Amino acid sequence: MSDQPLLAARGAGRRFGQTVALEPVELEILPGEGLALVGPNGAGKSTLISLLAGALQPSDGRIERRKGVRVGWAPQRPAQYGRLSARENLELFAKLEGEADPEEAAARLLERFDLPGNAKPSANLSVGNRQRLNLAIAFLGAPDVLLLDEPTAALDPEQRRRLWGRVDALREAGGAVVFASQHLEEIERHAGRVAALRDGRLVFAGTVDDYDRPSADTLFA
Amino acid sequence: MPALGAGMNRIWLVLRKDALVLRRSPLLFGILIAYPVAIALLVGLVAGYASSKPRVALVDEDNLPATVVLGGKRFHVDNTIKQVSRNVRLVRLSADDAQRQLRNGEVVAVVTVPPGFIATLEGMVKSPRLEVQLSHGTISSRVDQQVQALVYSLNRQLQRAYIATNLKYVTLILSGGKGTFLGEPIDVIGLQRSEKLLHRMPQTHRVHTLEDFVHDARLALANTGDALRATAHPIQIAHTGNRGRTSTLSAQVQANAIALTITFLALMLAAGSLAAERDENVIGRLARGLVGLGHLVWAKVLLASAVALVLGVAIAVAFGVIIDVGGVTGGEPWQRLPLLVVGLALAGGALGALGALLGALAREARSASLVALLVVLPIVFLGLIPAEVVPPAGWASTVLPFSHAVSFFRSALFDLSPWGEVLRQGLWLLALGGIFGVLARLGARRLLA
Repeated sequence: MSDQPLLAARGAGRRFGQTVALEPVELEILPGEGLALVGPNGAGKSTLISLLAGALQPSDGRIERRKGVRVGWAPQRPAQYGRLSARENLELFAKLEGEADPEEAAARLLERFDLPGNAKPSANLSVGNRQRLNLAIAFLGAPDVLLLDEPTAALDPEQRRRLWGRVDALREAGGAVVFASQHLEEIERHAGRVAALRDGRLVFAGTVDDYDRPSADTLFA
Repeated sequence: MPALGAGMNRIWLVLRKDALVLRRSPLLFGILIAYPVAIALLVGLVAGYASSKPRVALVDEDNLPATVVLGGKRFHVDNTIKQVSRNVRLVRLSADDAQRQLRNGEVVAVVTVPPGFIATLEGMVKSPRLEVQLSHGTISSRVDQQVQALVYSLNRQLQRAYIATNLKYVTLILSGGKGTFLGEPIDVIGLQRSEKLLHRMPQTHRVHTLEDFVHDARLALANTGDALRATAHPIQIAHTGNRGRTSTLSAQVQANAIALTITFLALMLAAGSLAAERDENVIGRLARGLVGLGHLVWAKVLLASAVALVLGVAIAVAFGVIIDVGGVTGGEPWQRLPLLVVGLALAGGALGALGALLGALAREARSASLVALLVVLPIVFLGLIPAEVVPPAGWASTVLPFSHAVSFFRSALFDLSPWGEVLRQGLWLLALGGIFGVLARLGARRLLA
């Protein structure tokens, strides 16, 4: 049972009109696993994460999710309502996620992510705070799998440390994380496997040990 | 059923969020309300212009004198022209200027007083002629009516003098005396004196016959004045006081004002708020199972419907108060408010569904608002053009919610028996709302791209 993937892409690809954003991909996300997506800008990482999250429907193939598995998603560009405060955003998405006590869930995540609890509209928050709110929303609804697109790009070192602490705790509890990153240190520290994409194609899938710096340099060249 | 309940709950959550966002955008909301009200006022002004006085050239080729005496009555020419030209603005121009201004549209008609007009008029035997040239175009028939009204008013002024002159001759025939005819002095014995003279004559059968004739002629001529006036006015209009609404508070104006306001508001609100979900990058978060695209579209439809309802009732209440305070009669604005509420909800929903479709197609909030603004004007103007005047406009507006909303509101507020019309227009609005809603749901997939 534990070897069954929590989430899988079965030949899932995506086209936007004539443009192929992602060629069909085979990928499994197993319990306790950290999967890093790497590749240059426009390689298809965000498209793959959006397909896995269900935010986009695949043009080819399908996405399989093990029954009962809950998925949290933090897109690269913060996805929240600018005229609502951080608390109101969290409460709204907590209700939509079906949290039993939305107010309590919002208060908990405000504290954990060190977010302001005042009425300030989230559009007026700093870039770092908006990204933290974006990540906090992904943690609503007790997700089993986290899909994080460039999660630490706008975070200071302390917030990065806290985020990875929470992510590692989820993995230790049997969950999984798929994240896109350009930071090799983060990949080596928090991922067991790497999937490398280029021009919408999966060009490498293997362990972090198999994925070495020289090949990474080639990939990003 | 639990799925339906969950779906409704999600729609409600999005709707509440939108209401909160709207409350926090007072400037936007204020503009959304003020703009259609301003447009409604401008439309009113344009409608007012339609009944304004057209400019008509008066070309005087007869050198009209300051005064004219007809049948012993003195007419001041300028005053008379002022009195009879209430519906047009007469401007004196030379013949050349008048022709030039008629060609370039500065005047809509040219009325020419030809040489010899006054002499013919003073002769009181033949009718003098005025020459009228009309511009071409859509208002020429209206101008023709107004020029005819001008001539009618002038004739009414003159006919009194004509009748008085004719009655002088009748009086002369009745009572006898000295007078003139075609400028020649005449001495008439008169019927009264003729009767007296016949009475003094030996009473033969012939004299009796003549006496009878003179008697009958006197009686007949005694009624000539009334007969002449009746000939001049076979039908007279009697004004019996002013009742009912003023034109600015008429059923049509109220129904148009409410429909126009909610059309602007519902279209722009639904279009902008649906596209804004993509602008805020939230659409993907919602679409991954939290709120389906269909639920999202219906949330926007309900938002438009709710805002249209609140604003429409506010406008109707404002009209009702003005009508009550002004003591204006006609229509049942208060009793019919519940029926109006139904119409506002349906019209707001149908317009909201159309707005959501525009928002889905435009994809960006700014573009969606602009597209909605561009679309709303033709929708409104198509609905304002009477179908019997321009049938294609009527056909086009049949498949758009505005004209159905106007008909619903007019019937709901003012018809004695509104049910048939209200039901028909309500079904139209429901059907259009459903069709546009389904199209918006299909189009909403573009928001995810």
